[in-house]
Amino acid sequence: MTEAAGIPTISMGNMADRMAHIKPPRALLVKFARGSMFGEPGNVARQRRILLDALDALKTMTEPGTIRELPYRWKQPDPA
Amino acid sequence: MPFNLEKFKTAYQKWVSESLPEYEAGRMTEIVKRYPFVVSDDIPWTPYRGRPSEQTFALVTSGGLFLKDSQPAFDDVSIHGDPSFRVIPKSVSQKDIGIAHAHYDHSLAEQDIDIIFPIHRLNELAEEKIIGKVADSNYSFSYVNDVATLVTETIPEYISRIKADGVDVVLLMPV
Repeated sequence: MTEAAGIPTISMGNMADRMAHIKPPRALLVKFARGSMFGEPGNVARQRRILLDALDALKTMTEPGTIRELPYRWKQPDPA
Repeated sequence: MPFNLEKFKTAYQKWVSESLPEYEAGRMTEIVKRYPFVVSDDIPWTPYRGRPSEQTFALVTSGGLFLKDSQPAFDDVSIHGDPSFRVIPKSVSQKDIGIAHAHYDHSLAEQDIDIIFPIHRLNELAEEKIIGKVADSNYSFSYVNDVATLVTETIPEYISRIKADGVDVVLLMPV
């Protein structure tokens, strides 16, 4: 309803089947469990990186319903 | 309205009456399967325009966050959930935040709220001028089954607030 009111959104998600059902306008899919969408506690660099990914998605996603999967894994270094 | 509200209300009332004993016994799996989920046929879409460095961003979570010293906790007992929201200021500290949501494990978020609500990381992006600013008011919802109240009362109130605050982009952080 935020989008319908004229404000673009970017959504996070961790369950592909649920996201296919809800159909967020723009979304990033992560491999992290419920309750820790940005990975392990204290990983400041990871949290920042995912927010930067969200900004990039905002600027580059042009089709409603686009879902981009992020490669990050719990307690593993991020890919370059 | 993006869906048939009256049809939902009828299905929802039936779901509540049929599911209450199982809900109260904590047997969620089956009643979730029966819940009359509302799905929009169309994907609402507002094209993104402009530059993040000149815009105001707000965070919205469904994580059940509230300010322990000044706001009531969400109702995390009722089968209806709690359709209200809490305003979380951008200056919030970890120690100020309580979490009232009975349907996910928030033990890690209680150590580091930024894993579900990255308000401190967003503030840092504003300090670095990567984004223009973080809205003074950010929002938390919690567990809600009573979607009718949500879409007729709470969401319109939230939308009028973010519009009044000049929010350009909303980052949606479901749990």
